[in-house]
Amino acid sequence: MTDHTKSKLLVALLGITLLCALVTPWLGHILPQWDVIFRPGADDIDAIIFWQIRVPRVLLSLLAGAGLSLGGVVFQALFRNPLATPFTLGVASGASLGVTIAIVSGIHFSLLGLSGTSLAALSGAILSIALVYGIARASGKLSPTTMLLGGVAISFFFSSLILLLQYLSDAGSSFRVLHWLMGDISRASMDSVLQLAPFIISGVLIVSLLHRELNLLSITDDMAASRGVNVDRSRQLLFFAVSLMVAGIITVCGPIGFVGIMAPHICRLIIGSNHRFLIPASLLFGATFLTLCDTLARNISSAAEVPVGIITAILGGPFFLWLLLRKNRSLP
Amino acid sequence: MQAIPTDIIKASDLNLRIGSTQLLDAASLAISAGERLAIVGPNGAGKTTLIRCLLGLTQPDSGHIEINGRPLSKLSHTELARQISYVPQQLAERISFTAMEFISMSRYAYGGGRGAGGGFKQTDEEGLEATEQAIELTGVGHLRHQALSTMSGGERQKVSIAAALAQQTPTLILDEPSAHLDPKQRDIIHDLLAKITREQNISLIVITHDLNWASAEFDRIIGMKAGQTMVDTQADAFMQKQTLMDIFDADWLLHPHPESGRPMVLPSPSQKP
Repeated sequence: MTDHTKSKLLVALLGITLLCALVTPWLGHILPQWDVIFRPGADDIDAIIFWQIRVPRVLLSLLAGAGLSLGGVVFQALFRNPLATPFTLGVASGASLGVTIAIVSGIHFSLLGLSGTSLAALSGAILSIALVYGIARASGKLSPTTMLLGGVAISFFFSSLILLLQYLSDAGSSFRVLHWLMGDISRASMDSVLQLAPFIISGVLIVSLLHRELNLLSITDDMAASRGVNVDRSRQLLFFAVSLMVAGIITVCGPIGFVGIMAPHICRLIIGSNHRFLIPASLLFGATFLTLCDTLARNISSAAEVPVGIITAILGGPFFLWLLLRKNRSLP
Repeated sequence: MQAIPTDIIKASDLNLRIGSTQLLDAASLAISAGERLAIVGPNGAGKTTLIRCLLGLTQPDSGHIEINGRPLSKLSHTELARQISYVPQQLAERISFTAMEFISMSRYAYGGGRGAGGGFKQTDEEGLEATEQAIELTGVGHLRHQALSTMSGGERQKVSIAAALAQQTPTLILDEPSAHLDPKQRDIIHDLLAKITREQNISLIVITHDLNWASAEFDRIIGMKAGQTMVDTQADAFMQKQTLMDIFDADWLLHPHPESGRPMVLPSPSQKP
């Protein structure tokens, strides 16, 4: 496939994403009148459902889907492992632990416009990366395998700490933690969209600027270094960008699994491994995918909404297995 | 007045110890422009560690490395990448980049490498030219849009060499470039390297176990053992029974090549059971 074809494919993907963003707010048990589009501030039921519930929810799932997918792209390249994502590597559990501590302890504060919960999530994410780095360094060399195994260990450890905290806390916060752990976009509001946007935008900017480094790092660290890449600095910047995005998503939506593993692989099959194209393709695909999953989540049952994390996990589990069992692997 | 250094790479007295293993023991190496240097020695002698130090991939505990008269530590990552390019022992088979994508990534140190074909900046004519020249010289034009993961070992090695050439460095370092190839592919890679040094005046540092190739095609041979650069001499002088005994601890026969007259190593009959 030539670069020209790939560019055209990206334009088509952008079209699909826009279409999805325009159509999904209309779908649901209540079908709003078409003219609510001209009444964003109105207080009739249609306008409230459309502008205050569904539009923020679609915007939030677009942002979160893009961020989760890009996090997967970066980690799969850095660890040169098709199963590496911020979730398999402990970054998400670090951020989740931060949020759990914030919920259980009931602290409320904000710093520089960031909420205490999102700062706790970011600290947790960066702590887990630092631990993974520390473990790998202590073992002698920063091999992706050591980091991967360290990440899995930390992920388990943090998850059990979350369960412990939840067990020890009162019924109210315990339920809030449980509901939030399922990964949910239903509490979306324009505030949460505005809260998440800066995290995702800055993460996407950093990763996009480093697409040439990602290409070389996805081969080997030695190859990247011998071509002139400052491997340590690039890797730290990329880890930081992913931590930002994951912390933002975990704070606002809770842990939503499997988007980060599926979206990059499907995009790689379609558009190839060159990160110049893979990055925008994964952003768009991830955004569309999560938005569709969430639309499904809020329509699948008339009794209650299903948290979107359950839908992505149900779709993701079999995909994960397919990836493991696929014979002809040329990934990442 | 400082004299112009004749050695483009000069490493002296490199030491590296990890745990109880002395990987490098006062190892030294120097190469001048256009020179072809082979590094030989038994497994674990420190050959790869030595070149990793030159490439800035491994930090020696002590010692001094100069590139074009400047200390290696003073060079930025991109500056070093414009001086030395590297062909690793074997590229991972899973790489799904096309040859063109992979080769153009070598332009990283020049601000290029944005992808295949039209991926260069409009102004990076030089990058496009260097890439095309490398592709032509190595004869991989037909593999341009093929993924590395679908190529044979020999093809992948040629693409790997093309990528290193596109990096436009005065020195090229290769780690066992023909170790995994069948005899015919091995000859093709050897001929290609000979052609490159002849036409481009590039200095070549090659790690190899192929003593006959080292004897036939190289100006100088360094023999390493236990982290030491024990022997550093002209290729002819290296191919002596005693030297080979010292380095490899093996008793081989030496015989001049019927056509070139270069000394060749033959297994000693007494070693056969």
